[in-house]
Amino acid sequence: MDYAIQQALNALSFGAEYALIALGLAIVFSIMSLVNFAHGEVIAFGGYSMVVIGTLLTGNPWILMVGVLAGCVLASVALERIAFRTVRGADLTTGLLTAFGVSIILQNLYLLLGSPRPMAATQFIFLDQTLSFGTLRVSSLQIYETVATILAIVALTVFLRRTTLGMAMRAAALDFEMVRLCGIRANRVIAGAFAISGLLAGLACIFIMARRGSVQPHMGFDPVLVAFVACVIGGFGSLPGAVLGGFLLGVIEVLVLILLPQEAGGLAHAVVFALIALILIWRPDGILSPAREKGDKR
Amino acid sequence: MRRLSLTRAQRRGLLGSALLSLLILAIVGAYYAWGEAYQARILYAAFVNLLVVVGLQTFMGNANITTFSHAAFMGIAAYVAAICVTPAAMKAIALPDAPWGLNAFQLSPVISALLALLITGGLGLLTGLFMARLTGIGVTIVSIAVLVIVHSIFLHRTDIFKGNQAFFGIPKIFDLPYVAALVIVAIFAARLFRESSVGLKLRASADDEVGARAMGVDVYRARLIAWVVSTLFFAVAGIAYAFYLGTISARPFYFNFVFLTVAMLILGGLRSVTGAVFGTLLISIGLEVVRWLETGPNIAGVKLPQMLGLSGLLLGAVIVVVMAFLPKGMMENREVEDFLPTERH
Repeated sequence: MDYAIQQALNALSFGAEYALIALGLAIVFSIMSLVNFAHGEVIAFGGYSMVVIGTLLTGNPWILMVGVLAGCVLASVALERIAFRTVRGADLTTGLLTAFGVSIILQNLYLLLGSPRPMAATQFIFLDQTLSFGTLRVSSLQIYETVATILAIVALTVFLRRTTLGMAMRAAALDFEMVRLCGIRANRVIAGAFAISGLLAGLACIFIMARRGSVQPHMGFDPVLVAFVACVIGGFGSLPGAVLGGFLLGVIEVLVLILLPQEAGGLAHAVVFALIALILIWRPDGILSPAREKGDKR
Repeated sequence: MRRLSLTRAQRRGLLGSALLSLLILAIVGAYYAWGEAYQARILYAAFVNLLVVVGLQTFMGNANITTFSHAAFMGIAAYVAAICVTPAAMKAIALPDAPWGLNAFQLSPVISALLALLITGGLGLLTGLFMARLTGIGVTIVSIAVLVIVHSIFLHRTDIFKGNQAFFGIPKIFDLPYVAALVIVAIFAARLFRESSVGLKLRASADDEVGARAMGVDVYRARLIAWVVSTLFFAVAGIAYAFYLGTISARPFYFNFVFLTVAMLILGGLRSVTGAVFGTLLISIGLEVVRWLETGPNIAGVKLPQMLGLSGLLLGAVIVVVMAFLPKGMMENREVEDFLPTERH
């Protein structure tokens, strides 16, 4: 029983992390059809801003968390302004390649200005403690991660349903031209999407840093690759789909680790990606893809 | 007997390929006339990349669908060729735990290469059956999946592939003239494929898929053929890679190499074989200059600092700038013979 609860919590916290990152990808995709592979480098930027603030200003973890969130939002909005504005409206492949290009540039900037080796930033480690409930021992970080992700999803839902900008963003996902005709500025909607995406990246960054305790130029690439799979499984551009895909991947990953023999653990990645290939061949638009109607722009 | 007749486009294709071949021969000639020994390795690597990029052009360029799995196919061919051709005594040291008697036999280079082509082509056909059914971004995503799956198998089965460690002891079979000859054959093959009936249908479907289908083009068949043909190019590149370097590892067959070759193709312009050749040569030269800067050389008495990551920076910048300002690449839809003064009719 304890084992089952333990593994369920593992699946939830893996899933929560993927869902956070996948949401960040999906919200940008839903509005401007851009698969933002540079999202991982935004996460790494959070890590590096933590190192900089931590060594220059203060080691107080709460201030650092605010710093990481602010850093990620700034980086994300700046990327849109500098790199992605020129490919707005271009086809998917152009956007995808641009995002890969930006991701390579940022990784190498970190390499050039920072260090190819991991740089220590251990201020968030205190989040990760072992709690005991009777015989059950769980990591506090996993609980924080799951709760924070659920709160973030609720907050995002409220924002998208109750505020003008949020409603404009939801409308823009369906028909951007119409939103502009209604007098909403396109730049504000897109900048808003990138800001939210950056905020989600910052949240993910805090948890990743609490687990790793160090930052590296390539640290964002693999999580984003998996989150990308989550988006594809859920149906790209669908926010509920991204969340569902993220949690589903968490479950699959834990199942693979439990069911496959120990020495096959390295194949978890291969299994996950084989799954996505099969899902795409079965349902090319993903499981929860938004229903397409005549007159939709995409 | 049916006479071999070529269309006008195919005749121009032969002319263009001949011009590009002259360029390749001139580069090889320049190396033998003035080059230094260490440059042979750089030139060889550039030619292997050229094989890959020309192969990319046959599917990615003609069908206008971005794919990322080429490094995986190249890796498979390199490993098959390497495992077959390496002497059994050497493999007993390099792969002591290999299953299925993989370390107990040795084949001749020709048979090894044919086997590598066969296996890679077979896998190309298998993946192609699925790939050709998908459209646009779906192909790109599945190709990423293929790349990741193959790479994690390379890393996981260390008993066969050695993972990130080097698989060593492969005899050196190829030299610069061999790979130059392969490049020239590849240029002719890619160009004739582009101008062939299948190539024309594929380019038509890239411009207007619905229109092409309405005109009776079997888009599925055209894509499948092009996909398998392009995996054969990657296989040749992988074999050339393994037959020269002496050691291979899983590391080079992953995203970095994928981005390098994709950048080469889109800089030149993915719709033209000439673009593929020019893009590869330009980026290869640019990277060599930047790698030299990276080590922190002395220029006019000023010692520059060591700058790791500069070459990656250049690569990323090429991709972003080309996508933003030159989305069709330098050559767009043109080939080299289009720059010759045209004959009047």
